[in-house]
Amino acid sequence: MLHFQFFNARSIEEAINFLAEEVEQCRIIAGGTDLIPALRKEDIHPDFVMNILEIDQLKGITEMDHAVRIGPTTTFTEMIESDILFRFFPSIVQAASSVGGPQVRNRGTIGGNIANASPAADVLPAVLAYDGELELQSKVSGKRIVRLSEAIEGPYKTRFLPDEMLTGIIMKKPEPGTRGLFEKLGRRNAMARARMNLTILLRLNEKEEVSEVRIVPGAVMPVARRVRGTEEMLLGKKSEPSLIEAASEVLAKEMVEVTGIRWSTEYKVPVLKNMFKRMMWQLLR
Amino acid sequence: MSNEQEKVLLRMKVNGKPVEVMVKPAWTLLRVLREELRLTGTKKGCEQGDCGACTVIMDGKAVNACLVLALQAESKEIETIEGLGTAENLHPLQRSFIQHGAVQCGFCTPGMLMSAKALLERNPRPTIEEIKRGISGNLCRCTGYTKIIKAIQNVHK
Repeated sequence: MLHFQFFNARSIEEAINFLAEEVEQCRIIAGGTDLIPALRKEDIHPDFVMNILEIDQLKGITEMDHAVRIGPTTTFTEMIESDILFRFFPSIVQAASSVGGPQVRNRGTIGGNIANASPAADVLPAVLAYDGELELQSKVSGKRIVRLSEAIEGPYKTRFLPDEMLTGIIMKKPEPGTRGLFEKLGRRNAMARARMNLTILLRLNEKEEVSEVRIVPGAVMPVARRVRGTEEMLLGKKSEPSLIEAASEVLAKEMVEVTGIRWSTEYKVPVLKNMFKRMMWQLLR
Repeated sequence: MSNEQEKVLLRMKVNGKPVEVMVKPAWTLLRVLREELRLTGTKKGCEQGDCGACTVIMDGKAVNACLVLALQAESKEIETIEGLGTAENLHPLQRSFIQHGAVQCGFCTPGMLMSAKALLERNPRPTIEEIKRGISGNLCRCTGYTKIIKAIQNVHK
């Protein structure tokens, strides 16, 4: 393990002041489920580690008129137990339930899952599907809101400014009638890192046509993102078996366009297609 | 940076008793429990949060002590296996583990017991599925889990 100094921030102001001063060498710790293994492997060498778990302003889930705000240090367990999330964002709850075991869910946070930007993250793709926004704060540039889809640059790399801290995750409440589903495939049932996960949000109009659809595969591409080609194919149409079959082909093509043909492609293409079809049928039932 | 890093005072409660100990910022809670406080019942396994051998209860929630920086435990209440029962007065879970033959090599047992305790505190009558989920963060390479699950299910019988 490395040597570093520890700073226990008590408020957002204290934290962003500290980041403004120690910006090059400081890493933020919340649940530590990703950061501590990285420190132990000496993948990172910070001079300072700043704990943000004692900052009350970063905790909790708040319902507003048209949106819900999640504090970044909300743990996976707290997300699973939240009535507000269950009501409006069931896929977030399903994604949080799929993370690790109880010990990891009791520590790991939504902010860490997003800010660490792991390609295998589970909650991040679900937040993308709901088109979540991030509130970032820094001493120099103040407060700004960015869309999550624009905030991730690559694997383990965000577009946050070096002195910025994630202070909130905001998601608009979906239109009434929106159904959501998250599924994950790992190498085993418990404690598995995602080999693949899939979030689908779907809304039909009174004619049973797809009026809104969002599809986000996770862990199969360097950066999770919506697959617009597949979504456009479904929009405005009646979801019949032939359409879902054709959409699954487009989905696989969109994945391969990003990843190229790899050793795992032969496996991932049929699995992703079947996962997609099964979830679509479940949502349409 | 030099190897001789400054130590910092950490105050927490361990098994109901206030504890003050000087720690290095890079130490984990696991290291402090085992090597400074000599509470070696909490086991060091994978040290990356996969095996659950180091499970302790922090402010009522099961956590991996290897994934908590010691200084993050400031002012927290920690329960370890040493606080669960004594040789003369076993905790009902410990008695049930013995009765059901849920202990083989014993290395996973302290973590398994702490996860079981955290589970029962939130859910006194868990189903088998809930028990499986409750101990899904604890690996056992001997028992095949069946007897552990039975021991937790029948703790009050």
